[in-house]
Amino acid sequence: MKFFSQSFLYDDPWSIVSFAFFLRYPNPYASHVASCDVISRSLSPQGTLITTRLILKHGALPRWAPKGIMKNAESWIIEESEVDPFGRVVRCSTRNLDHVKIMRVEETITLRQTEDHKTIQHTEARFVSGFGWGLTKRIESHGVAKFKAHVHRSREGISVILNLIRQSRMQPMTLGSPGLMTTDKSFTEVTRVEHGEKKADNDEIQARSPVQQTGGAWTKITSWLRSG
Amino acid sequence: MAHSLSEACTPLKSEYDSCFNAWFEGYLEPAVSTTPEQRTKFSNQKAAEYEEKCGKIWEKYRSCVQKAVKDKQLDALLDQARQENPLKEPPNDSSTNKASSS
Repeated sequence: MKFFSQSFLYDDPWSIVSFAFFLRYPNPYASHVASCDVISRSLSPQGTLITTRLILKHGALPRWAPKGIMKNAESWIIEESEVDPFGRVVRCSTRNLDHVKIMRVEETITLRQTEDHKTIQHTEARFVSGFGWGLTKRIESHGVAKFKAHVHRSREGISVILNLIRQSRMQPMTLGSPGLMTTDKSFTEVTRVEHGEKKADNDEIQARSPVQQTGGAWTKITSWLRSG
Repeated sequence: MAHSLSEACTPLKSEYDSCFNAWFEGYLEPAVSTTPEQRTKFSNQKAAEYEEKCGKIWEKYRSCVQKAVKDKQLDALLDQARQENPLKEPPNDSSTNKASSS
């Protein structure tokens, strides 16, 4: 078994980071996510929100992996989360449902509000391979190495979403203005999600008409995405 | 938004996600000073609001996904995962040992 753990501090308040965390698929850094579904969701008697999501991820096998080890490099992931808006905590735990004999990866993320109203993210992951054939350690080490790269990318993905939320809250009346659209990198990146490989052209964005100003940040973000 | 595991459910998922996200944004920000009574009141209000706004589309989306999960024979995998429920287990639990020795 291998273990990985890391903490990261966001400057943004907990409610925004948590919102971004739940909105994180799709983003330009998560192109390996093929589908994401909510399969159950309920409010507990204590008022916390409990969600189970089923996610399909594409992956790539390392070159040294034995042929025929997996039919395809897809993996079903289950994600269970609990949001406590009073205690200002999100707990989220994910693990793979299939290929568990090759390797089982369990990841736990907590997002907590700090005393100075920032947000601390703590990530823990365990890697257990039951593969044998002298490959167990190699598979586990490969898992950790891939995961380290993934942690960075997944944070980049959340930052993209955070930027969008921040802007929608800070500049609600100037949403259609050229200044906002053309100078911000994150907008361009997110646009790319909806357009596949096509790069968003600044002029094109500038030409778009301002969108309606109703509802919260979520409504604004969706109207931005749709306006493409 | 990310696609559903079944293309047939994707439009329902988009509609549901939009509804949920609009609700969720408010859910994350209860009033700062909260007595236990105020918490209960907030929770009940939000639960009623969710049901009223997103209840119908959730039922449609859920039954679509449930069918897709059965069709793809993912239900056995899910049942197994449900029984283990990692959120309620301490970090060094027996399920890991089971998985590694199987």
